[in-house]
Amino acid sequence: MTETYKVIIDILEKHFGTDTQITDQSHMIDDLNGDDFDVVDVVCQIEEALEISIPEEETMGLQTVQELISVVSAHVES
Amino acid sequence: MWKVKLFFLVFALVGGMGGIFYVKNLQSQLQISEMNNAKLNEGIELQKELLIQKENDFKAITEANNNLLETNTQLQADNRALDQKFNKINASGKQRDIGNLAVQKPRSVESILNKQAVERTRCFEIAQGSPLTEDEINATKKSQINSECTSQANPNYVGY
Repeated sequence: MTETYKVIIDILEKHFGTDTQITDQSHMIDDLNGDDFDVVDVVCQIEEALEISIPEEETMGLQTVQELISVVSAHVES
Repeated sequence: MWKVKLFFLVFALVGGMGGIFYVKNLQSQLQISEMNNAKLNEGIELQKELLIQKENDFKAITEANNNLLETNTQLQADNRALDQKFNKINASGKQRDIGNLAVQKPRSVESILNKQAVERTRCFEIAQGSPLTEDEINATKKSQINSECTSQANPNYVGY
């Protein structure tokens, strides 16, 4: 488990709560009871925590935690 | 003697004429009474019909009132959901700041607001009688619903 992964999960747990277990397959709207603004909010928090900047076109339409991790990881490693 | 006979004859004639007039008068009054009776019966029938109509109207009004109450309850729920959308508090207790998000991610927020505008337009269409689409009827996940008027657009969606 990478540091990036931990940061992402930590932010998701703080944002959505821990009532529902967050997995890679979790859908941020259907499973974590979020909405489109939550996804944007979470991305902003992750960018701030990891001090990265992700182009908006890459984050629009993100739905699952796995998709989020993939996009964020690509920018952390690059 | 003939005077006495004449008297009785005149008396009998006058009595007979009087009797005939009396019977004719009675027949006339009877006819009027029958006509009045028929009118009264018509009136009673009309009143019965009006009473039935009033009962039906009352049922329709009660039903419409119940429908309005139900719609009002749904609209209040939708209103609460909309309010929560812009003032949502996350699990850490931090309130959502749409303005800040719009500054950081303007295109994403614009895209979300545009999507909501489309959904709102669809809500007006539904309110004006447009039939629901298959997708709207079959939507059971939060990501599939019209978040602006869920109760009207997605009858099979059960909120979390």
